[in-house]
Amino acid sequence: MLSAANSMKNFFLSLKTTVWLLLTLVCLFFIGSYMMPVHREVFGPMNENLLFNWAVEVGLQNAWASWWFFAVLAALMLLTVNAVVCSVHAITGRWPRTDFLIRISPQVIHIGFLFILLGHLLGAGWGYKLSGMMREDSYARLPGDRVLYLRKIDVQSDESGYTKNWTAEASIYEHNTLAKSGQLGPNKPLFYRGAGIYLKSLNFESGPAAFLLVARDPGAAWALAGGILFSLGSVMVLVLKWKKA
Amino acid sequence: MDFLLFILYPLAFIRPKWIIPALLVHIASIVAAAEHYGRVPLIGLHDTLGFLAFSIGTVYLAAAWRRTREQFTYITLPLILVLLAASAASPVSAGPLPPVLKTAWFELHVILSFVSYALFAIGAVFGVLSLYEKEGTEEINQYRSLLLGYVLFSTAMIFGGIWAYLAWGTYWLWTPKELWTAIVWLFYSLYLHARLVRGWSGPKVVWMGIIGFVIVMFTYAGVGLLMKSSHEF
Repeated sequence: MLSAANSMKNFFLSLKTTVWLLLTLVCLFFIGSYMMPVHREVFGPMNENLLFNWAVEVGLQNAWASWWFFAVLAALMLLTVNAVVCSVHAITGRWPRTDFLIRISPQVIHIGFLFILLGHLLGAGWGYKLSGMMREDSYARLPGDRVLYLRKIDVQSDESGYTKNWTAEASIYEHNTLAKSGQLGPNKPLFYRGAGIYLKSLNFESGPAAFLLVARDPGAAWALAGGILFSLGSVMVLVLKWKKA
Repeated sequence: MDFLLFILYPLAFIRPKWIIPALLVHIASIVAAAEHYGRVPLIGLHDTLGFLAFSIGTVYLAAAWRRTREQFTYITLPLILVLLAASAASPVSAGPLPPVLKTAWFELHVILSFVSYALFAIGAVFGVLSLYEKEGTEEINQYRSLLLGYVLFSTAMIFGGIWAYLAWGTYWLWTPKELWTAIVWLFYSLYLHARLVRGWSGPKVVWMGIIGFVIVMFTYAGVGLLMKSSHEF
């Protein structure tokens, strides 16, 4: 029993495991990039819903096309264990205090990477994504006893008729009280209590209307924190290794 | 102005530092295009191939500052000229920026991506040179180039994620282009880890640094041409 645990520990402590897992992931993503355009009916809805829902409702039903996706999840799980075991070992082992930065900076990268994965996991399983067309001066019900009011749509064009910008005035009511008002536009969502309202496109076929997305991603903050840590650790490694190379 | 670049860049064949006039004229042409179109000229193959050639030229200048004319120049300059020729042959994307691209995140994401591509290109050139030398100097040069490229590429991906979150409500989309971006990132992560593993370090890893640039070029040009993704504007 002990020897099995030890060999498991050695397996996850090995850099060779990291290398083979990364190589496996490269191959799986390569297969995925081929499968996605070939099986559009399977992968088309992947970005429209929560990833967990897609995996259960579509992915598992079409495992012959989506097997690579589940293999990616398995490989990422192993890579997570690998990163945690290696980082814990590197930090808890004996090492001279003068080597603090060189020892700690790769672990900062690992933590950043793990935070990004955690962000994806939270975003894939929790939160929500709702989308639909809303006419100007209309209301839509949102989760949490909230109502979205689309007040006004505005399009700005240049002399040649090219659309320079578009905006929409929107308000959120919570428990029948105005909670937040603001302007939506490209790269300009309206955030309220962790949920973002995004103006995706406009339609004028039967009066001004906007295609809106309301998304709540509880993993976004984790992913951002992970990105910052990853960058910080990478710059530290760069500075330290550049000199030592 | 493009024609002038084809005369100026080859001056570096005489002496590496003589690439400076070409780079100055190139940056002037980028600024002129920005003035003319009222936007950063980083849309479409014409703009981006030209910017990639300029980025490789800039990284080349830094890497070749203390070098004399030799194989490093003989491999890098033709690469720059091929990219310039491809840029000149590609249609110009005239007109203003689509509203979704009017954000500093776009500029940061694209500029950092192409500078990292340039570092990956120079890393591949060092890799080729490393296969023919015994001292290991070029292998270290390759490592430094790829490490810096990896850091910038990772930052570019993070900026791209922030931009995507503000534009589309998600920092990651499952599309072939994003998968290939992940392949590039995973491949260079693999390179950096494999370099520390006995049995992988040495020529195997050097080859990985060379193959990496082929993957980068496919991700940049091939995926856009062959597959649909959020990176079409």
